Amino acid sequence: MAPPKGGFAPSLEKFLDTLKSRPVEASVELLISLLKRHQIRGSEPCAIATAHILLQVVAKDKWNDVDQLLGRVQLIGRKLVAAQPRELVIANIVRRVLGLIRDEAEEDRNDNNDGQSDVASEIPPPVTSVAGGTDSPSKPMRPPVLGNLGNFARTQSMFNLLSDPDTAPVVWSNGSTPRLGSGASTPLAHPQSTNLYSFRSEVIDGIEEIMDEIKQVDEQIQAYSEITIHPGDYILVHQPSRTVQKFLTRAASKRRFTVFLTVDPSASLASEDPYASFRKSMASGGATVVTVLNAGLNAYMSRVNKVILGARAITGKGGVIVDAGAATIARAAQEQGRTVIVLGGVYTLSPESQFQEALIEWGDPSKYVNFADGSMVSQVKVKSAVSEFMPGDHVDTYITNLGAHTRDHLHTLIMDHYKEEDIAFDFYGKMQR
Amino acid sequence: MSAAANGPPPEATNKPVEKSEKPQAPAKNEKKSKGEAVDPTNAPKLSGAELKAKAKAEKAARRAQIKATKEVVKGDAAAPLGPGQSGPSTGDVKANKGKGKQDSVSGTNSGAAGKATASKGSTPPAATEPKVTIPECFSHLSIAKKSAMTNADKDVHPTVLVLGQQMATFAIDESITRLKATLLAFKKVIDSYNTPPGNTLARHLTPHVLNPQIDYLTACRPMCFSMGNAIRWLKLQVSKIDPDVPEQEAKKQLCDSIDSFIQERISVADFVITEKAARRIVNGDTILVFGRSTLVERTLLHAHSAGTRFSVIVIDDPYEKKGQVLSKTLAAEGISVSYCGDFGGLRWHVQRASMVLLCAESMFSNGSMYGRSGSCDLAIAAKALEIPVTVLCETINITDRVATDSLTYNEIDPERCSAASFRLLFDATLAKYLSVVITELGSVQPTSVPDILRKLEESN
Repeated sequence: MAPPKGGFAPSLEKFLDTLKSRPVEASVELLISLLKRHQIRGSEPCAIATAHILLQVVAKDKWNDVDQLLGRVQLIGRKLVAAQPRELVIANIVRRVLGLIRDEAEEDRNDNNDGQSDVASEIPPPVTSVAGGTDSPSKPMRPPVLGNLGNFARTQSMFNLLSDPDTAPVVWSNGSTPRLGSGASTPLAHPQSTNLYSFRSEVIDGIEEIMDEIKQVDEQIQAYSEITIHPGDYILVHQPSRTVQKFLTRAASKRRFTVFLTVDPSASLASEDPYASFRKSMASGGATVVTVLNAGLNAYMSRVNKVILGARAITGKGGVIVDAGAATIARAAQEQGRTVIVLGGVYTLSPESQFQEALIEWGDPSKYVNFADGSMVSQVKVKSAVSEFMPGDHVDTYITNLGAHTRDHLHTLIMDHYKEEDIAFDFYGKMQR
Repeated sequence: MSAAANGPPPEATNKPVEKSEKPQAPAKNEKKSKGEAVDPTNAPKLSGAELKAKAKAEKAARRAQIKATKEVVKGDAAAPLGPGQSGPSTGDVKANKGKGKQDSVSGTNSGAAGKATASKGSTPPAATEPKVTIPECFSHLSIAKKSAMTNADKDVHPTVLVLGQQMATFAIDESITRLKATLLAFKKVIDSYNTPPGNTLARHLTPHVLNPQIDYLTACRPMCFSMGNAIRWLKLQVSKIDPDVPEQEAKKQLCDSIDSFIQERISVADFVITEKAARRIVNGDTILVFGRSTLVERTLLHAHSAGTRFSVIVIDDPYEKKGQVLSKTLAAEGISVSYCGDFGGLRWHVQRASMVLLCAESMFSNGSMYGRSGSCDLAIAAKALEIPVTVLCETINITDRVATDSLTYNEIDPERCSAASFRLLFDATLAKYLSVVITELGSVQPTSVPDILRKLEESN
């Protein structure tokens, strides 16, 4: 599927290249079609693409107030999610941007509280998909406020009642941006234009921070490899993602251990080894890589110490979306009491709870069955899974860029990263399954 | 001297490791054919210094198997020593070196090369398969060595020679098929056997005729448990033969008992198991199977021809793809089949099944099933969803050994065993994941397998 570099097939890079030269609407449509056609796939590319498109929306689109912007982001978010509902990260990024906008708005409002009395409405931002607020040129739909309540304003929102008011705004890893900048516009009596301008740049900064965070995930997760992997360990990895590869490579620079590597059986026939560079770096570090050409790995479990899997997405209850086959491995590991470790950035952590266990992404059946094989094609139902859901009880530890977590702790992480009202927001509402 | 000293090293550096090993295989054959006679003639010629040089060269060759770079260094070290030898034996030393590093030494050396290898008998057997590198942690497991036909003992019967190659290439793969082929081949061996004068059949046949055949077959591919069982039985039959019985009659007696053994333990057993298993399939069932095994295929076809309407899910091993053959066979009969090439979404597939049907390569006496690699994962998934796992197994496959994990007894796939990859052929499924074992003597709990063993012993 992955087009060769410089090929004609569209890819994430090409999409990002054309982003600046296109109108936002066209870019959105392009991204939707790319997602639908799986030309952008995988957690990180999807997350990056989503962040970029939302950045464009914030930067280029016309909007006059926060609600309009929120509505716009929600609308686009819905479209993207509908295009590729299995990539949970898309919804995650949209939620985070929504949360970011709300935070910035709140900052603004708090700063403006003293000088403003014209904010009347305490209706929380509508969660509708309408690019609404056309009737509100002078920000009456700002997040809840009562002019005279000053610092307590934040707690007045029904939606905020459930979240801890002290921690709510501190969402981003270093939290510097939300605190800065908007103060400059405080003294203005009618702050809309200037305020909006700085507001816009604040949000853009925030989105860029999210993108930075996504890019840094691998490095940050790497830092935990030495604690996790011990000398002499036997580690089992299943079609390692770049995150997992880097994790092991870092450990290999310090320790000697053995890696059992399972590869995609259909890819193993190809002449080019997708893990050639990984093998090389592992070998230079002193770790041994053994490619295991078995589908069922229970036979190896009595030898294996740890199973390390890369997550496509992690759900709040601990379930993980993994590459097909990984669930069976985790199950086997669990049967024999081996540790199962899941690696994934915080951005893959999804508050989505409506995930069914049986949700499997089915893919190209010609992976194993040749389409020229008439008797198979005509008479036999051929199924080939691409990704599958792994129940949370198979997993012992989750390692994200913020550290190692247990299943019970994931919920707290979600609360830290998403706003209550965004978690509740139903991206799937209008989706046709 | 300088020319001689400088000559070999560049060659040595140019040759990859594998090449340096290759000559040893043919050379060994030569040794075998020449017999031990060459060795004593060769030995006295060597002076102490020669022996030393030879030892060095040997060491170099041995190291070459491990590391190419090391080999080069050693070759360099050995080279200056060569020319320093006394006149008459230089050829010998050269041959030694040539053998270590070079494919074809000039024609004059060919005889010497043969001698040199004869003295080189100490090289480890691994040298014959230079490409196979087994990870340290699996080095205790057996692997089919693909012993060449020319390596075989002269007493090995041609039928057995062919059979050995078929087994080594996995053309004959299933435990029960291998067993049957072996017994039929042994029948031919016995048929063409003539007791040499001064011997009795009962005393001579086993050590001098049967054992070389068995050794050769084992060299080609490690014996499966059923073959072990049957061979033990056969040897017992041979030893039971009364020395007074005329040879022709004794041979006929043996062949007859082999025939009835095949009939009883294989043909009828298969029939009974198929019958029993097919009866367990009822209308509307969905049977989940793994890969292809003759017994399972026959069971499904039998059930279908008996009028039961059911569907089949075939889970396949992506590296063997034999399940596709099964899928086609079943689909051609009109059975609704769905096929999944790997273990992706296994849980989802198992959920839809009403029974998992597996064929055992062997059963251990603690109730563990020795089956195709992957069977265990399937059984675990089924157990978690409380779907019964039915195992089909002929009693001849039951062994009195015990395995609690898959790495006690296993076999490495020689096709996929290299520096870059590794594959186990089997795995062991613990009794707790299995529901019932169907044998021709009855359907039992997996933990009751030893009872069947005892029953068998009593009946013998």
